[in-house]
Amino acid sequence: MLSKRHFLFALSLSLATAAMGSAHAQSGLDDIMKAKLVKVGIPTDYPPYGFVGPDLKPMGLDIDIANLIAEKMGVKMELVPVVSANRIPYLQTKKVDLVVSTLGRNEERMKVIDFSVAYAPFYQGVFAMKSTAIKSFDDLAGKSVAVTRGAMEDEMLAKVAPPTTDVKRFEDQAATTAAFAAGQTQVIATSVSNIGVLSQRNPSLPVEYKLLLRDSPCFVGILKGDDALRTKVNDILLAAKADGTLEKLSQKWLKRSTGDLPL
Amino acid sequence: MVDFTLWDIVRNLLLAARWTVILSVIAFIGGGLAGLILLVLPLTGNRVAELAIGGYVQVFQGTPLLMQLFLLYFGIALFGVDTSAWTAACAALTLYSSAYLTEIWRGCVASIPRGQWEASSSLALSFGQQLGHVILPQALKVAVPPTVGFLVQVIKGTALASVIGFVELTKAGGMIANVTYQPMLVYGCVALIYFALCFPISLYAGSLERKLNVGRR
Repeated sequence: MLSKRHFLFALSLSLATAAMGSAHAQSGLDDIMKAKLVKVGIPTDYPPYGFVGPDLKPMGLDIDIANLIAEKMGVKMELVPVVSANRIPYLQTKKVDLVVSTLGRNEERMKVIDFSVAYAPFYQGVFAMKSTAIKSFDDLAGKSVAVTRGAMEDEMLAKVAPPTTDVKRFEDQAATTAAFAAGQTQVIATSVSNIGVLSQRNPSLPVEYKLLLRDSPCFVGILKGDDALRTKVNDILLAAKADGTLEKLSQKWLKRSTGDLPL
Repeated sequence: MVDFTLWDIVRNLLLAARWTVILSVIAFIGGGLAGLILLVLPLTGNRVAELAIGGYVQVFQGTPLLMQLFLLYFGIALFGVDTSAWTAACAALTLYSSAYLTEIWRGCVASIPRGQWEASSSLALSFGQQLGHVILPQALKVAVPPTVGFLVQVIKGTALASVIGFVELTKAGGMIANVTYQPMLVYGCVALIYFALCFPISLYAGSLERKLNVGRR
């Protein structure tokens, strides 16, 4: 699977190089306004950012952001389900105008696409019940912590947790969250998306964000060099940040403040 | 907030299975027709056609279906041709299955002894008559098991069309498993539905073999 991903990424890199040679100066913004339609790539298998309800209709934080952008542009929206392997090719081949898909910004990706300002936090952290007092990593000493074996958070927790921490490793995210929800561990280290699912499935569970392990916020992906569209999306997101919409969405889906979103 | 009952899971999977069925039918019909043409062309003794089709078979057997879908959908778009997901899926599945079917059937035709061609031609049968009355009816008997084996493979292979945006059975299963956190149940249902699609084809193949009396040639 990994090598397939790598292959697809390499392929999309080469597609990008080919595309840039023939790139036209015309902005996708004009096309969107002319067609009165913005096509947005969204995740459908990544709660709470993008997932499906019993009617298989997408919902989640990313879908709300896509809605917000379409609404402020005054155009209709078409949602295109994407996965991490194909979301950048979708963008490069203009099959979608924007990608709102929990997309993190890194050096490699910045070579092939442009990014808006960040619209939501994404992070791995330490979570526990409201009644559990945890102020720093030292407070984890002697406490049992559920974590998924080999996941990003497992690696990071190993670096910062005191040696007396009772780390219980589980084989997958579902088992990790299940163990914590059942009270088998006091603390859970996982990504915010899993906590979103956990609190959705157990609304009465007083689970709370405690400590940050790693921060990698989400950005909207835009075709490389399309500055007009990027400016427009940035204006919409910055306005939504100023009037508290982003904060509200973050609280609604992630149960946490947006914190300091990078530009 | 989001709660899937067992019925919700099964209902959504069955709805998604429509796409699996439609994509499979496209692959069967498109691949079968193209495969038949590609089978007959080199039999006429056209050396160029034989070489070209050999190359075609090698290319499409030697590259993964996932890449063919990916390149047809995203690759062609870079040259300004906007392929829809349907066009790309139809084209890729037809190319892919025709390459395999041609090769399978070529082997079946080749297994018919040379003497059958010679005998029928000594009776002054035309090429079409040789093929239609003598060679293909015999090759058909040999062709049933490998053809059915490949078709069943194609049904499962349509899952790859999710890379260009089709929410078919496997993709829908993944989406539901990720909200319900019940992967065993969901993927179990997915596997059962695939089986329900493939098993009747295998059954039909069995009865076809009996009808054609494959055991006795």
